[in-house]
Amino acid sequence: MTRPSGRLPKFATLLASFAIVAAACTPGPSTAPTGGPTTGPTSQASTAAAIKYPATGEVTCPSGSTAGSYGGKDYKGNMKSIEAPDASTVVFTLCAPDVAFLQKMAFAVFYINDSGWIEKHAADGTIKDTMNGTGPYKLDAWNKGTELTFSKFDNYWNKDKYPLVPNAVLRWSKDSGARLQALQAGQVTGMTLVGPNDFDTVKNDATLLLAPAPEGQALNTLFVGMNHDDAPWDKLEVRKAVSLAIDRQRIVTNFYPAGSEVATHFTPCAIKYACVGPDWPSGGTAADIQQAKDLLTQAGFPNGFKTKIQYRNVFRGYLPQPPVVAQDLKEQLAKIGIDATIDEQDSATYIKNANSGKLDGVFLLGWGADYPEVTNFMDYHFGSGCTAAFGKCLPDISTPLGKGNSTTDDAARTAAYTEANQKLIDDVPMVPIAHGQYANAYLAGTTGAQVSAISTEVMWGMKPPATASDPNTVVLMQNAEPIGLYCADETDGESLRACEQSMEGLYGYTVGGTDVIPVLATSCDPNTDGTVWTCKLRQGVTFHDGSTFDAQDVVTSFAVQWDEANPLHKGNTGIFEYWGGLWGGSLNPAPPATPAPS
Amino acid sequence: MIQFIIRRFIASIPVLLGVVVIVFILVRVIPGDPCTATLGEKANAERCAEFNARIGLSQPIPVQLGIYLKDVATLDLGTSTKFGRPVIELLVQRLPTTIELTFYALLFAIVVGMSLGILSASRRNSAADVGSMMVANLGVSIPVFVLGLVLAYFFAVMLKGTPLALPGVAAGRLSPGFRFESIAVAWGMKDLAGPPRAVLDFLSNMYTVNGLLTLQFGLFFDALRHMILPAIALGTIPMAIIARMTRSSLLEVMGLDYVRTARAKGLRARTVLFRHGLRNAMLPVVTVIGLSIGGLLSGAVLTETIFGLTGVGLTITEAITSRDYAVVQGVALFVAIVYVIVNLLTDISYGLLDPRVRPS
Repeated sequence: MTRPSGRLPKFATLLASFAIVAAACTPGPSTAPTGGPTTGPTSQASTAAAIKYPATGEVTCPSGSTAGSYGGKDYKGNMKSIEAPDASTVVFTLCAPDVAFLQKMAFAVFYINDSGWIEKHAADGTIKDTMNGTGPYKLDAWNKGTELTFSKFDNYWNKDKYPLVPNAVLRWSKDSGARLQALQAGQVTGMTLVGPNDFDTVKNDATLLLAPAPEGQALNTLFVGMNHDDAPWDKLEVRKAVSLAIDRQRIVTNFYPAGSEVATHFTPCAIKYACVGPDWPSGGTAADIQQAKDLLTQAGFPNGFKTKIQYRNVFRGYLPQPPVVAQDLKEQLAKIGIDATIDEQDSATYIKNANSGKLDGVFLLGWGADYPEVTNFMDYHFGSGCTAAFGKCLPDISTPLGKGNSTTDDAARTAAYTEANQKLIDDVPMVPIAHGQYANAYLAGTTGAQVSAISTEVMWGMKPPATASDPNTVVLMQNAEPIGLYCADETDGESLRACEQSMEGLYGYTVGGTDVIPVLATSCDPNTDGTVWTCKLRQGVTFHDGSTFDAQDVVTSFAVQWDEANPLHKGNTGIFEYWGGLWGGSLNPAPPATPAPS
Repeated sequence: MIQFIIRRFIASIPVLLGVVVIVFILVRVIPGDPCTATLGEKANAERCAEFNARIGLSQPIPVQLGIYLKDVATLDLGTSTKFGRPVIELLVQRLPTTIELTFYALLFAIVVGMSLGILSASRRNSAADVGSMMVANLGVSIPVFVLGLVLAYFFAVMLKGTPLALPGVAAGRLSPGFRFESIAVAWGMKDLAGPPRAVLDFLSNMYTVNGLLTLQFGLFFDALRHMILPAIALGTIPMAIIARMTRSSLLEVMGLDYVRTARAKGLRARTVLFRHGLRNAMLPVVTVIGLSIGGLLSGAVLTETIFGLTGVGLTITEAITSRDYAVVQGVALFVAIVYVIVNLLTDISYGLLDPRVRPS
């Protein structure tokens, strides 16, 4: 960060600060680095010397199931260091190759803040209420409970192209019917997530435009899970029988909006490597039913058995009508003698039970993409640190996934995911059912109408029709108010969408697409083994407050998330959930909590 | 009177304490917890242990209760796990919406309800009487969400583009992007801080009040337009009850001897009705209005949801869904306090209307 006025070189100041810290601290495990941003007047300057995070000590990487260490504490993460050899270069060193590195860089959680801004606003707690990005729109106001208003940033580095109109407003309403009526009334330019029963209403209204996800781009999956640690699901024949009994096409045809697809693989096929290997076998035909009965007989259940169908009654893109799908599944399982009762659970309880492996029936669950990479779907569920929902991790699935996520070699990845997909079919920890279609709706004639599975609709790429009540203002209505505007410490799509309007990352997504493109970086290139990524930064970029973008901003933006001991490791909750989820773990993690006596 | 008020306040302390304890326990008894509600599919045991430790839920429940009571005594209602903000701050942000909505709903209910009641009572058994009571019965029978949606569809969608169009469903409190100044800024006191600034900001969030105090009439009229349909939707049921109560109470009073005497003295019918009849018929009506205020302040959930008004009702609904314990407890305490105060004011108003029941 540099203020636009001519002041002392910031980088030099930083170096001096780091030198002081380094001199004062003895490198070693007992020293917790501060390494955060420095204070004082600064200005941009290139330098031959480097800064590094952590500034002191060395991170020892995890190896296999053995944790690494830093500062005398266990370290489970994949980030080894972040360095800025000069003001326009940042080098990320990883413990192991990360094939999703660029997708993660394009994720709103890792968008870049000005280091001075973080220093000031993380410290006083206001960072969650405001934004200072480099994007086409600057935030004017967050009228809590009502709207976020944005206006054109005159010094935007790509101002010849974006934004398309000078003003934008982000509003919200929880109910899809209410959002649709607001659109019909002309109060908004567009709305996210059309209700599954309203697709035809929008299609048949000449004043509106339905923007569904492109064919094959529904980045979510509904699956029927079974915990193979529990009887009777511990018998492979039973799990295979369930798979054979389910007519997935019937479920998609009857209960999903048009454009939804039967899942041929666990991961939606729009994602690279998702659909290598064989398709999931068919189910529900007479032959399948007979084969399923035979398998149940082999497993010792010639007359079937009683179980539960567990679900939560929460609308999701992957499961728009939970109760009716559960009822249909009950009828389908009854054909092979499985007598299931419906067990609807409170949402929070259900998730808790799923993640602790306590769902003992067949259960309906799903996943929506955080970013479009096969690891985001596969590793969480079946990788070495798999969810407990299906029981213990299955090594014959997690092993090829480990190969797939640690190489950038196309042939090796194809082979790894082919094997993993085959093993999923062989072991049947779950049955993939559907990829649910979703759509946004806009006023007819809106330019740049977008829909995104990962909350990346950008108003700066939209333009209302000339007939709109205010053609110079895009008004988008989403389904909830953002929780906070410091997206590093947020997880809800509504907050992330707000950040998309005003913030930028080293990489980003194409407007309305899922391909990553350089934004604040001009390039990020890996070394040969994929463990070192060198990012060259775009020059001439300024933040909305006039500060100049440089490498320190990148280092600080990442460091404050990574290091729990950093005094600026503050946000809405202070958990920085996605850092832990996507990079494996933090530096200086807090000691585990002592559970309360119950 | 002062002693009466003090006694009532002291008597309300055990009530409020009981509300705090019961709500505190109830929110922890219902299934689910803040961690899984917040993190969803991404919650796991390790992350939840960390999450709970950060927000103090790893302590035994009696310890949590003790800490909470101590905090409440110092006006600290805790911090929202969902929003990461103090509950007091959320209440200050969102209460003005509910107060404004309640005011206009009540205004509608009183003006229309009493007018219909008086019309009906003064023309008993006429077409006006039957018509008024039909409106009242209809009003009390239609659920708020049905009336709200119908009104919104009619005025916002069907009348779109006409001068009669009004902001409808999810319209919020102002037109998109409407810019205005807070009271402190408009009055040239933008550097004001502390409690006086908080009071001004609180008033600023009541947009019609802000518009009038700062002469931003554009703000006033835009905010008022956005309040019309929600106020009608929310105020219709109290309006119907007030209409029926006014009618029956007025009919009873108008049959009493002193009214007959007033008529015999040759007073004009209007004087008899308004000066001698209506004032004495007001006691039960005031009771209904008092109860309505409490109900409206705490129960505008559906109206706020339909019209996109982020007030206290919507806040507590979201808080329950997301197991945001601090917000549920804080809002419940606030609602209890409102009821205590409104009941007290109602009792005091009895004395003003009828000296015979004035507390000694």
